[in-house]
Amino acid sequence: MHLVVIGNGAAGLSALNRFRAIDTDSQLTLISAESGTAYSRVLLPYYLRRKIPYENLFIRRPEDYEKLGVRPEFGMRVSRVHPETHSLTLEDGRSIGFDRLLIATGSRPFLPPVEGLAGTNVCHLWTLRDTEQLDTLFQPGRRALVLGSGFIALQAAWAAQQRDLNVTVYELLPRIMPTILDERGAALLQQRVEEHGVEVRTAIHTERVDRSKTGVLTVHAKNHPPLEVDLIIVGAGVRPNIEFLAGSPIRTDRGILIDEYMQTNVPGIYAAGDVARGPTSFGETHQTHALWPTAVEHGKIAGENLTGRHVPYQGSLNMNVTEMFGITVASMGKFIEERGHSSHPVENGPSHYLKIVLREGVPVGAVALGGAEDAVILGRLRPWVRNRRRLPDVEGFLKGRYLLPRQVA
Amino acid sequence: MRIVAVDPTSCVACRNCEYACAFKQTGDFDTKASNIRVNFYPEERVCIPWTCVHCGEGWCMEICPAGAILRNPETGAVEIDAKRCAGCKMCLLACPTGSIHFDKVELVSKKCDLCGGDPSCVKFCTSGALQFVEEDEAYSFRRESLDAKLIRLFGLTKRGS
Amino acid sequence: MPERQTVQTLCRMCDDRCAINVYLEDGKIVDIDGYKDHPWNRGRLCVKARAAVDMVYHPERLLKPLKKTKKGFEEIPLEQALDEIAERLSTVKEKYGARSVSIWKGEAIGFAQEEEMARRFVHALGSPNYFSNDSMCYNGRYFGYRLVEGSWPVPDYESSRCVVLWGANPPHAHPNMTQMIMRARKAGAKLVVVDPRMSAIARQADLHAALKPGTDGALALGLIQQLIETQMFDREFVENYTVGFDELAGYAKAFSPEAVEGETGVPAALVREIARTMAGAAPRVTVYVGNGPEHHENGINNIRAVACLDAILGALDREGGNRLVDGFQGAHLTLYDEIPLEHLGPIGADRFPVLYGFRQECHTMTGMDTILSGKPYPLRAMILTAANPAMTNPNTLKVRKALESLDLFVVRDLFMTETTELADYVLPAASFLERVELHTHAKYQTVTMTRKILEYPDVQDEYQFWHDLSHRLGFGKYFPWKDETELTSWILESADLSLEQAAAHPEGIEYAPIRYERWKSETLGTPSGKVEFRSQYLEDLGYPALPEYKPPAYLDAPDPDYPYVLITGARKLLYYHSRFRNIKRFRTAIPGPEAELHPRDAAALGVADGEEIRITSRIGSLEVPVKIMSKSEILPGTLQLTHGWKEANANLLTHDDRFDPISGFPLMKAVEVRLEKVEKV
Repeated sequence: MHLVVIGNGAAGLSALNRFRAIDTDSQLTLISAESGTAYSRVLLPYYLRRKIPYENLFIRRPEDYEKLGVRPEFGMRVSRVHPETHSLTLEDGRSIGFDRLLIATGSRPFLPPVEGLAGTNVCHLWTLRDTEQLDTLFQPGRRALVLGSGFIALQAAWAAQQRDLNVTVYELLPRIMPTILDERGAALLQQRVEEHGVEVRTAIHTERVDRSKTGVLTVHAKNHPPLEVDLIIVGAGVRPNIEFLAGSPIRTDRGILIDEYMQTNVPGIYAAGDVARGPTSFGETHQTHALWPTAVEHGKIAGENLTGRHVPYQGSLNMNVTEMFGITVASMGKFIEERGHSSHPVENGPSHYLKIVLREGVPVGAVALGGAEDAVILGRLRPWVRNRRRLPDVEGFLKGRYLLPRQVA
Repeated sequence: MRIVAVDPTSCVACRNCEYACAFKQTGDFDTKASNIRVNFYPEERVCIPWTCVHCGEGWCMEICPAGAILRNPETGAVEIDAKRCAGCKMCLLACPTGSIHFDKVELVSKKCDLCGGDPSCVKFCTSGALQFVEEDEAYSFRRESLDAKLIRLFGLTKRGS
Repeated sequence: MPERQTVQTLCRMCDDRCAINVYLEDGKIVDIDGYKDHPWNRGRLCVKARAAVDMVYHPERLLKPLKKTKKGFEEIPLEQALDEIAERLSTVKEKYGARSVSIWKGEAIGFAQEEEMARRFVHALGSPNYFSNDSMCYNGRYFGYRLVEGSWPVPDYESSRCVVLWGANPPHAHPNMTQMIMRARKAGAKLVVVDPRMSAIARQADLHAALKPGTDGALALGLIQQLIETQMFDREFVENYTVGFDELAGYAKAFSPEAVEGETGVPAALVREIARTMAGAAPRVTVYVGNGPEHHENGINNIRAVACLDAILGALDREGGNRLVDGFQGAHLTLYDEIPLEHLGPIGADRFPVLYGFRQECHTMTGMDTILSGKPYPLRAMILTAANPAMTNPNTLKVRKALESLDLFVVRDLFMTETTELADYVLPAASFLERVELHTHAKYQTVTMTRKILEYPDVQDEYQFWHDLSHRLGFGKYFPWKDETELTSWILESADLSLEQAAAHPEGIEYAPIRYERWKSETLGTPSGKVEFRSQYLEDLGYPALPEYKPPAYLDAPDPDYPYVLITGARKLLYYHSRFRNIKRFRTAIPGPEAELHPRDAAALGVADGEEIRITSRIGSLEVPVKIMSKSEILPGTLQLTHGWKEANANLLTHDDRFDPISGFPLMKAVEVRLEKVEKV
């Protein structure tokens, strides 16, 4: 059997490991648009602020692929997939046949259609290349604008601040980290960010960017004085890499649609990670969670099922954690109360906020701003959310009770 | 492989294990640095020591974005390589039992590594509640005694509630 | 990698005496862990043992003799110190008589040959005045049990089916017992804990009788009443091997479960259940009494009542019960026969005849009064070793005043303490890693020898000190051995063992096989040779013959000015009495003293966790932060303060003027106090 995996990121690597743990015979080919061995996207901001050395970004060595018996095709794009002939065409014209295919091409950052935005000194923080570019642009005293306030955007802002740049953040929506924090959390985090000397503007609509001959960027936002900066980092969301599937029978809709076995509508073709829209642990059928943990889970299930097994996925639970501005920010599940939800917020001072959201006594989500211990609490809560178990004594849980839920995810 | 099995019917929350582990890690007795924690619930009179059980499919290992968590081939222990850890804290979010903690000074995650095969906590356990035993022995031992205590603690009246 | 040597010895950070491996590199001790082959601890250790490494090399360790001068303490050569001490002792002896000189031996040096050496010295000098920590520890239980069954038994935990811990908390006080108790439980034994607090061991109790402090006798008599009423007692044993049963049964009748509930607060149903549990497990019932019941005004009779349970259950000297032990046959060093000095009026002997009669001990608290008053005769000199009474004896202020006023006060210790501060001479003492001595573990009837692993030039072990001093004072013939090794060898040989054998057996040598039911063939150590529910000996001395119950004063005659009851002295694992506060990591774990308070009382006082309260007794007052316990951990109206903290010295509050009349033990665990919140200025 010949399995081809497209993508050298979290989902692809996770699938490779799982596949090989079960199937040591089949042929494995790994195609990746980026050249070089795998690096960790999560770690890029940590390098940018010099928390880790450059070498630590790489989470695979060439020999790791050898050991797994994988034939790598790095620095090569796929231009078309032909499910009917079980083959795909590479950019250089070559054709590769497959028995099974895993598409884990991930996503790429989205550049908002702002006039003058595209051009020099405007970057994303997504790839290793981006990071190396930002690294040279980060000089003490320079002025940076971060467009967006999601995970990546704020991590970029933090890295810039740590490298002694003057940083401003523009967020389109009324609060920062809108998909990660609730209102209160966002307000507290914003305070924290501002305490570090980073300017934050929310509900701000960027309309135009002018470029001077010397490379200085002037950013024009609605009802707001123009801002002069030396560089702009755009963290305004991602789009799945599915262009090469145009015209193919593989069904997409803002991402590749997969079932709970990670399979697309075409038998033998699977998808995983940022590129896919699959089931969530709350019962939704097609959602994208462009998150590292989801990519790892997808990859694992896909890898298993690609061996011929038939293991359903429990569903993705959105969760993420990062350390920035001297505070741990973590969130999970549905942390904004909807109708029928109750919540249990705890605030111990300006830098500590923890909220668990429950539905009929079952935890459905949580958000935390604080220390590492809060991430541990969310970790302990996760099996309850995953397995829809009632948690009658939230106070006790926060104090350390209920060490073990009956089933462990 | 052998893991540290805990018996909540013998534990008296004397915390020798926490002191011994903290001492091994740091030379001091700050129990925040200990990889084993004892939870004592006075109202129910339940003492539960807990440490990493070195899961067969360690979620922390699978999820680590730095590839810093690996299994020790000799002891079978799931170990964090502090030199590779970036301090992203994803493992804290991953562990369902809260067995990983974060060192605020070194800014890396820390967890039990079975002391390379001679766990200090077991050596210093006053009551014999901690034993270093083969996994399958440990699970049955834990399940019986843990279930009784958990039932009392959770106020459950029947199994599977 | 430097080469490592390993030496086995015994740890003496506390009195559990666990067997340890001591690791050396280039002659320096670098690590300590448990020695697996000794039956006592089987390789397990608490974290104090490893701290011995820090202790022996501690920068504050005393290494040179000190003399108090007008300018403070000055280092002087050892020989000079010994010369001067001998000279000044002679002066005091000539001026006031031999009995004006006394010795005080503390807990830290232990109870075997080290204790006997101290007793030997003071008698050889011509004084009957031997004081020790046993004026307020251990003797309470020893007397209670000896009066009833002839000696102090050893709990036979592992074969037991019902372990009763009465005012004892092994995890903090004798850690090793914990694993024995848990082994018994794993084999199906029930654990009953009698303690006003939820101590560490009580966390695992199947039945916890949280009785009011000092009411132990009522509960014990209540259990006796139940066992008799339900006919669940060992009739054969009682009929053949005891005296006074009918009297005891008659006296116990009034202690119905309801009456016991009224007195102790323990629910009547629980009293019945404990009795049923004990009866169901008999004769495999082990009752172990800790220090808790000793520090009360009715302590001895309370303990006697508990001791009666052994015979009533038929558990005395039976497997799984309380076993009588054979002592080690090694020669004794005391001179009570050779130089009897009772006629010289040992201090406290007239007041507490049982104390002197049973143990040839003088009464330390009476000693303080004697020093200050000069009555019945002057007490002017004291050599004190391994003790810190300025912190650990009741009524600290009086103790300090007394010790300061001595003509000569010599103190031996490893570190400067509150007591050394008062001394004229401070002599550096050898730690347990620097001494060769024998220890017995009664449970296994083994004798184990310790090793001298470290040595400092001017730091003497006890033997060396007594030897050098006695030779200067003209009675060196009583200390003829060259050194402690020779003495230890002599003791071993008297028991048909040798130094070589002892050195070759770090796991201990069994000196007599374990046996049970000796009462079948031998008489017990009581005057009648049987278990004495009634004691003629006590009656002849003017005490009640039966273990009568007298309620503690705070229940009998409550004083609205002192509405709370203070318990002092509950153990914490890391600190042994006043020791080890200079071990840095121990301070990280337990930074300071705390008054353990019930949440209801804290609320009434308006005090939050960590805030300070002032505790005032009729003796004195102190301020200390509060730790609010869970409501199931302590009784409302009571509070607990551990001793040994100079930041909040519990003995500023405890009584040296109220005693158990038989043992002379001071009231320390039911002290009437009032509490108020300390308002921050």
